[in-house]
Amino acid sequence: MSTPATRAPRQPTPGQPTPPQPTLLSSCARAATAAEARYRISYPGFTRRSSRVIALGAESARAVRGMGDRLWGGGHFLMFESAVPGDALLRRAGTGDTALLSEELEGADTVVMVASAGANAEAASVIGDAAATRGIMSAGLVLPVSPGSGAAANEVVAALRPNAMVLVVLRDAADVPEVLSALRV
Amino acid sequence: MLKQEINELLTQAGPGTPMGEMFRQYWVPALLAEELPENDCPPVRVKLLSERLIAFRDTDGRYGLMDEFCAHRGVSLWFGRNEESGLRCSYHGWKYDVNGQCVEIPSEPDERHSSLCAKIKLKSYPLVKIGDVLWAYLGDPKTTPDLPQWEFARVPAEQSYTSKRWQECNWLQALEGGIDSSHVSWLHSDGLRDDPLFKGAQGNKYNLADRKPFFEVVESDGGLLIGVRRNAEEGHYYWRITPWVMPSFTMIPPRGDHPIHGHFWIPIDDENCWVFTYDYHPVRPLSQAEVQAMKDGKGVHNEFVPGTYRPLQNKDNDYMMDRAAQKRGDTYSGVKGISMQDASLQESMGPIVDRTKERLVSTDSGIIMARRKLWRAVEALRDEGVTPPGVDVTHQAVRSAAVVLPKDQSFIEGCADALRVRPGEKHASV
Repeated sequence: MSTPATRAPRQPTPGQPTPPQPTLLSSCARAATAAEARYRISYPGFTRRSSRVIALGAESARAVRGMGDRLWGGGHFLMFESAVPGDALLRRAGTGDTALLSEELEGADTVVMVASAGANAEAASVIGDAAATRGIMSAGLVLPVSPGSGAAANEVVAALRPNAMVLVVLRDAADVPEVLSALRV
Repeated sequence: MLKQEINELLTQAGPGTPMGEMFRQYWVPALLAEELPENDCPPVRVKLLSERLIAFRDTDGRYGLMDEFCAHRGVSLWFGRNEESGLRCSYHGWKYDVNGQCVEIPSEPDERHSSLCAKIKLKSYPLVKIGDVLWAYLGDPKTTPDLPQWEFARVPAEQSYTSKRWQECNWLQALEGGIDSSHVSWLHSDGLRDDPLFKGAQGNKYNLADRKPFFEVVESDGGLLIGVRRNAEEGHYYWRITPWVMPSFTMIPPRGDHPIHGHFWIPIDDENCWVFTYDYHPVRPLSQAEVQAMKDGKGVHNEFVPGTYRPLQNKDNDYMMDRAAQKRGDTYSGVKGISMQDASLQESMGPIVDRTKERLVSTDSGIIMARRKLWRAVEALRDEGVTPPGVDVTHQAVRSAAVVLPKDQSFIEGCADALRVRPGEKHASV
């Protein structure tokens, strides 16, 4: 026997107007209070993210290398070294050893490319294509261009645009860890 | 994800809080001008940034915004008599001018009267009418900024329409909806087909044909520019660019020759906010049909409980949820109208959402950057006295844009002019 809470709505009688939608009186009003927020269930049920943060050039490599020392939620910090046939060679920020892009993308759910002046368009293309092929979300963070580097932010953005579903152009490199932290890298 | 202390820093806007101090650097929308329609009209209770205030328009047309309660016995001046260039408390007849200065205490002997009055002044703030809005400045009088220059408030009256609604949640989660471009393809997918203030634009076809947009978030002097691109004709992208100017101004990209619209999100207290919603056209008067549609709650406006600024669809009636319409596909969430589709979901998060538990993804980058910029500005003001972005009126001279650009052109380059106010020139729209 069904309880009142699960009872199916009454079917309209043929020839009679459809009854109004059965809505519990003030249910949103009650459900959205601060008092009810206390009853939101809390549990460590989320699987840890598996992010790859990859620097595309020398300047961004310095930023990524520095971040690799911090405590993160499982993200890998890497530097693009070179393209190899059908793949790319990366260097791990912490240990300094090398890895293939294809290996690093196994099990990854997000790839964040970090780029600055002189960003390697080929690197962005190789990584972006590899992520797209595997259905992995790709994002790009564009660091501020150093004065005197001769490069323009637009060139960096242009290199990344076809290869990243989300691009963020920063004015302060200090924001990079905050952005990554917000994404639970 | 935000740490709890940062969530509190950004969401608490009462007096003495860091974010409250930041809001007090700006002229903020306080009321619609229609709320004080004539000299000596009834006063209006206003709660703003967690302060209880009373607004009135005196016999000479001057606007006043001051402490709601009489200095004598703490009676609400909402019961007062607005007459002869002042607001008089109904209890014992104490009277105040628009600056909060007590000007009359009828019970006191004449010889003591003026000296006693001079010592009694309610806290008051400047209130000015620009466009359809009464703007208040709740900060230090010594650092009063230049008056607001937002284009929607500066065009001739017949080119602009503003409404406001009460939203029952913290200002920040309401604002975040305004810069979260990725929800539009889902929650509001019905609006492009039949809303009189959206339909018929060429851009709608790009929107509906490509539901996996790419995003670019670029910092600007006043806040952010959030660009969303979709495929257009061969070799081109359709870009929609939303400016956010600190602390809480957003402008939605236009569609065809329809008016441009957007919002201001202003804290009432930490668990409620006012959403001021404007629509304007830079070069032509709004048509009667457009204004009627706005009054009828179309576009980004909404219907109201008669005689109030509370939306007709609200949490007490489950936002008039229509499951049959949801099932038919008439609406995505079952709630009618863009503004209430947003408000219903934002209010469902609770009065102040717990951001320590959220799971942001990269398409939330606009939200992430907005929080970061707010946080940075709040700290710079608190620690070094730096005036935050958006106070400078040059930051207010922005427009949204909807354009088609060659694939290799950045929207910053391609829309440099389109994203600035150009008086007398039409907005860039597809």
